[in-house]
Amino acid sequence: MRLYTALLGLLAPSLCIAANPSLVKLPADFKVPQVFKNTNLVRNTNLEKAYVRETVNVVVENVDKQSQSDYYIPFPSKIFGRVGGFEVRDKKAPEKGRFEVDATEVDPSSGNQYFVVHLSEPLAPKAEITLGISYSILSSLHPRPATINQADQQYLSYTFSAYVPSAYQTVTQKTKLKFPSTKVPDYTTTSGIKTDSGEDPERKGTTYTYGPYNTAKVAPGTEHPITVRYEFTNPVITAHLLERDLEVSHWGGNLATEERYWLRNNGSQLINHFSRVEWTLANYQKLPSSAVREIVYPLQPGSVDPYFTDDIGNVSTSRFRPGTAKTPAHLELKPRYPIFGGWNYSFRVGWNQDLTRYLRRAVGGSDSYVLKVPFLEGPKVPEGVQYERVVVRVVLPEGAHNVRFQTVDGTASNGLPGANHITSHLSSLKTYMDTLGRTTLTLEVDSLTDEARNSQLVITYEHSLVDSLRKPATMFAGVLSVFVAAWLIGKIDISIKKR
Amino acid sequence: MAHPALDVLLKGSSGRSTRGLLRIIILCTIAAAAVSSRLFSVIRFESIIHEFDPWFNFRATKYLVQNGFYSFWDWFDDRTWHPLGRVTGGTLYPGLMVTSGVIYHVMRFLTFPVDIRNICVLLAPAFSGLTALAMYLLTSEMTTSPSAGLLAAAFMGITPGYISRSVAGSYDNEAIAIFLLVFTFFLWIKAVKNGSIMWGALTALFYGYMVSAWGGYVFITNLIPLHIFVLLCMGRYSSRLYISYTTWYALGTLASMQIPFVGFLPIRNSDHMSALGVFGLIQLVAFAEFVRGFLPGKQFQRLLTSMVLITFGLGFGMLVLLSVSGVIAPWSGRFYSLWDTAYAKVHIPIIASVSEHQPTAWPAFFFDLNFLIWLFPAGVYLCFQKLKDEHVFVVIYAVLSSYFAGVMVRLMLTLTPIVCVAAALALSAILDNFLVISAPTPPAKTDTNKSDKVKKPIGIYSYFSKTFVTCSAVLYLLIFVAHCTWVTSNAYSSPSVVLASKLPDGSQYIIDDYREAYYWLRQNTPDNAKIMSWWDYGYQIGGMADRPTLVDNNTWNNTHIATVGKAMSSREEVSYPILRQHDVDYVLVVFGGLLGYSGDDLNKFLWMVRIAEGIWPDEVSEREFFTARGEYRVDDEATPAMKNSLMYKMSYHNYQNLFPPGQAADRVRGTKLPADTPQLNTLDEAFTSENWIIRIYKVKDLDNFGRDHSSAVAFDKGHKKKRAAKKKGPRVLRTE
Repeated sequence: MRLYTALLGLLAPSLCIAANPSLVKLPADFKVPQVFKNTNLVRNTNLEKAYVRETVNVVVENVDKQSQSDYYIPFPSKIFGRVGGFEVRDKKAPEKGRFEVDATEVDPSSGNQYFVVHLSEPLAPKAEITLGISYSILSSLHPRPATINQADQQYLSYTFSAYVPSAYQTVTQKTKLKFPSTKVPDYTTTSGIKTDSGEDPERKGTTYTYGPYNTAKVAPGTEHPITVRYEFTNPVITAHLLERDLEVSHWGGNLATEERYWLRNNGSQLINHFSRVEWTLANYQKLPSSAVREIVYPLQPGSVDPYFTDDIGNVSTSRFRPGTAKTPAHLELKPRYPIFGGWNYSFRVGWNQDLTRYLRRAVGGSDSYVLKVPFLEGPKVPEGVQYERVVVRVVLPEGAHNVRFQTVDGTASNGLPGANHITSHLSSLKTYMDTLGRTTLTLEVDSLTDEARNSQLVITYEHSLVDSLRKPATMFAGVLSVFVAAWLIGKIDISIKKR
Repeated sequence: MAHPALDVLLKGSSGRSTRGLLRIIILCTIAAAAVSSRLFSVIRFESIIHEFDPWFNFRATKYLVQNGFYSFWDWFDDRTWHPLGRVTGGTLYPGLMVTSGVIYHVMRFLTFPVDIRNICVLLAPAFSGLTALAMYLLTSEMTTSPSAGLLAAAFMGITPGYISRSVAGSYDNEAIAIFLLVFTFFLWIKAVKNGSIMWGALTALFYGYMVSAWGGYVFITNLIPLHIFVLLCMGRYSSRLYISYTTWYALGTLASMQIPFVGFLPIRNSDHMSALGVFGLIQLVAFAEFVRGFLPGKQFQRLLTSMVLITFGLGFGMLVLLSVSGVIAPWSGRFYSLWDTAYAKVHIPIIASVSEHQPTAWPAFFFDLNFLIWLFPAGVYLCFQKLKDEHVFVVIYAVLSSYFAGVMVRLMLTLTPIVCVAAALALSAILDNFLVISAPTPPAKTDTNKSDKVKKPIGIYSYFSKTFVTCSAVLYLLIFVAHCTWVTSNAYSSPSVVLASKLPDGSQYIIDDYREAYYWLRQNTPDNAKIMSWWDYGYQIGGMADRPTLVDNNTWNNTHIATVGKAMSSREEVSYPILRQHDVDYVLVVFGGLLGYSGDDLNKFLWMVRIAEGIWPDEVSEREFFTARGEYRVDDEATPAMKNSLMYKMSYHNYQNLFPPGQAADRVRGTKLPADTPQLNTLDEAFTSENWIIRIYKVKDLDNFGRDHSSAVAFDKGHKKKRAAKKKGPRVLRTE
C-alpha cells in the first residue's frame, strides 16, 4: 500500500529531478503585503534537546479584498540559515500534506529573510485557516557559563522574543517553553504587557508560559527579548558535516551504507584541562556529564558487518548487539575519549543490509525499480543530535537512468524541509572495473536534526538486463585481453642469433 | 609396477610438463602459506601499521600518493625536528614508498578503490610470497636436486627469522628488501655461471632497486666483490667472472648513485671501497691473463710480482691519503659496532639504546630458525664437497652473515636466507637418498667383468633405516611448522600500537591508549601544536596525531635528541626555558605504572640521561639518578635529581590521587610511591589516556604578572584554600 502511494506520488507533477533551491529575489522596496491578520498564535518551544524545536499554531485571516495565497514568515537573516526542517501544514487537515515553501533573499529594510508559504488553495476574503508551522533552530543554545569544571553541571541559555516574529499583525499570542528539568535558575520576567493579571511567565513543572499577550496594537516586528537559562548536563552534539553513502548492488543483492561524521560538542568548555582521576570517579559513580560517553546507534533490522573506524583505524571500544530479522540491531559507539565541550571527534560507521528489503521492481515496467531507504539514520540519544550539513549520496548500479527521487510525506512532520530545499544532482562514479560509471544521486540539506530519523527517501530508476550484463562482459574482455597479450608477447622472438 | 596411465603422466616429455605443473602448484601453495601465516595480526586486531618506523614509511607513502613523485623527491618536512626540519626526500630510501605508490596507481587505474593503508599493510606478506619464489630460483642454481629449491622456498616462507620483519602491517624497508636481496643473489649466480652481460645487467638493475629500498644494500656491495676476490685467490679467474663483475659494478654503481640519500657514497665511503678495489683488481688480473698469452713464463712471473707490489702499494697509499684528507668518509659508527659490540655503548649511546642493535642471545637462533640452524652447517659442508663458483658464494655468505647475526639482533634477517638455502641442500640430500623405495640398482653388466668385488653400488638397502630417517625428517618438518606458527602467532604478530589482554571472562580486551591519546591530539589541538616526546614516539605522533614533533626515530641529530633528554631529566626551572625556546606546546610521556606496561619512559629514562650527559656532561649526570647504593629507585628513597626531574614529575603527577592515601604503587617497578603527588609548576595536565599509558601536558604560558611559575602556583594554592573555606557564605559581588 505504501509503495502504491509512493508510486502515485511519483506520477504526480510535484516530483523533482535535479532541482536546486534558489532564493527568491526581492525588489529593493519590498514590503510584505499586509493582507493577513493572525487572530491567535500559540508558540511551543521545546528545549528538552540540545537544539530548539518550535511549533507555531496560528489562525490566519485574510483581511484583503481578494483571495490571497502567499503567507510570509520572517526570520532574522543571521538565524535564517540555521532554521531546519521547516514545514507548514493546514492544522485542520494535516493529511493533505505540507504546503510548498520558498525562501527569499534578505529584505534590506528589515534585515529579515522570509519563508513564503504558498497555500494550496487561495484563501478567500474574511476566511480563516489554521497553519501549523514547525521547524528547529540549530546552534541557538549557548552554554552559560561558557567554561565549567569537569564535574560541574552545565547550563544553557536561550534568548528569544516574547512577541513571535511575524510579518502580520497578531491579535493574541503566547509562548510555551518546555524545559528538560525544573532547574531553571534564571529567566526574564515581564510586567505590564500580559493581558490578564498573574505572573509572567506562568510556571507549571517544566513548562513555562509567556503570555497571553494582546498585541493588536503592537507593530509587526517589535521585539521583547526574553532570556532563559536552564540546566542541561548533557552534551550538545553537533555534526557539522555528515556524509552518508548508500550503495546499491544488484549483483550482490546488497545495500551498503557508510556514514562519516564530524562531531563536536558545543557545550561548556573545561576551565582547567581534562583530569583522568576525576573522570574515572565520575564514571564510577555514574554521574551525569556534559561529555559524550557513548552514542547508541540503532540500525535497521537485518543489518550486518558493522564497523566503526576513524582516521587511524578501528575504534576498539565499540560494541555491536546484533538484532534479528525483525528487531533492530544496536551499535554502541564509544568514542576513543570522552568528548567534552569544544572537543571534536570525527569517525565513520558502516554496515550492510539485504537489498530485497529496500528494493522492488516497479509495478509498471519490468526494468524500473523503486528503492526506499531512510534519508537519515544517525544515533538516537535523548539529548538529540543536530546536523549542520547532511550530504546523502546514493550510488545506483552502473547504467541506471531516469532517476527520480521523492521524500515520503506522512500526516506528521518528517523533520525534512520541502523537496525544493534539497539540493540534488546526478553524477557518475567509476569504481570496481566500471566502464560507464555508476549513476550517483547526491542530495544535500543544511540544518537538520535527528527529528528526521524516520524520514524515508524513495528513488525510482530504470536498469535493463543489458546494463546488468555489462560488468561480466567487461571482466570477460579484460581477462581475454590479458591472455591474448601474454600469448602475443610469448610469440615475439628477441634472440640475436639468426635462425 | 606403476599404472600405465600414471606412466604417461610421469615419463617422457609429458612427464616433464607434469612435474613442471606440479612444481608451479607447489610454489603457489608455498607463496599462499607464506602470505597467510603473516596475517595473524590483521585477523586478531585489524589492518593497522605496526611499531614505530612503519608509521613514518606510511606517512611518506601517503605524501607520495597525494603530492606526486617530484614533490616527494624534493620533500622538505617542516613537521618533524622542529625547528630544524628534515630534508626527508633526500634522507630516505624511497624504494618502499615508490613500490606501494606504483601498486596504488595501478589499482586505481583498474578502478579498484583500494585504500593506501591496506596496500602498505599487505605489502610485506605479498613480497614474502615473492621471496619464497626467489628462494626457489636461488637454491635451484646450487644443486641438481629438484626438491632442494622447493624445500628452501617453503623454509623461507614460514621461518620466523624472516616473518619477524614481514608480518602484515610491518611496513618497513625490510619488507621488500629481503626479496630484492635474494633475487639479486640469484641473478648474480646466474651471471657468474653464464658469464652473461644480460644477467649481469639484471643483477645491477635489481641491485639498484635494492639500494633504493634498504641501507642493508651494503651487504651486497661487499659480498659480491668478496665472492670475486675469493674466486680470484682460488685461481679461478675466467672471462665469465670478468664480464659479470664489471657489468654489475659499472651499472650497479651508477644505479645506486641515482638515489639522493646514497649520492656519491659509492665512491667516497669506506664501506663501498672493497667493490672499487676488486673492480681494479679484476682489471689487473684480466690484463695479466692477456699478457701471459704473449710472454714466456719467467719474465711473466717477474712482471706479475712487481705489478702486484706496485699496485698494492699505490692503492693502499691512496686509500690512506684520501681517508686522512677526508675525501673518503671514515667508517660509520654502526659499522664499527659490527666489529666491537661495546663500541656503541661507549661512543654512540643513541645506537645502543635501540634494542634491535643489541647482540643476539644464543637462544634467539633456535627461536628464529628452529631445526634449520643445525642443518645449516651440514648444508655448508655439502657446498664444500662440490665447491663450484656458486658454492663458494654460499660458503662466504654463510660465514659472514653468521658473524653479523651474532653481533646485532636485526641482522638475523640477512642470515635467514642462507640458512634456508643450506638447510634445504642438506635436507634434500638426505631425502633424495633415503626416500627411494627401490634398492640401489647394481651397475650395468658391462662393468662386472672388470672387478667383481669392489664395484658394489653405494646406497641404502635397509628399509628400516629408510623408514626411520624419513620419518624423523618428516617429524622435524612438522615440528618446524608447528614452531613457526607458534612463534609467529605469539611473538611477532602484535602491532605494539594496540595491546591485547584478557578479561576475567576470557574475552579479549584491547588496550588502545596510544591511539586514544594520538587521536585526541589530532582532533583537539591546533594543527601546528608542537609536541615534545622521547624520540621513540616521534614517527607515531607524526603518523597518527599528525602534529609537528621535536625529535623522531630518524635520530639524525644527536644534539637535538640530547636537548630533549636534558629537558626531560632536568629540574623544571631548567626545562621550562628549553621548552619555550623550542615552541613546545605539549609534552607527551608514556607511563606504564598503572597497568604494568614495562616499555614506558621511566624505564627508558636512563638512556635520556646518558644521551644528554654526552652533550652536557656538566649539567646532567647519570650518577645523580642512582642512590648511594647504586640503585635506580622511584619511591621515597629516590634521589633528589630523580624526584625533581621533569620526567618523574610528569609520570607521577596526580597519580597518587587515584589510590587511597598512601596506597599508590607503581606496578612496573613494583614499588610503593611517596604519599604526595609531585608538584608541577610549569605544565598543566591536558590529557591522560584511559589506562594512563599516555600522559599529555600543556606547557603553561608565561605568567601574566611576570612571576615565576612556582610562586604563581604557590600563590594560587593559598588562594584556593581560602576560597574553599569561604564557599559556604553568601556570594559577594566584586566591584572593582
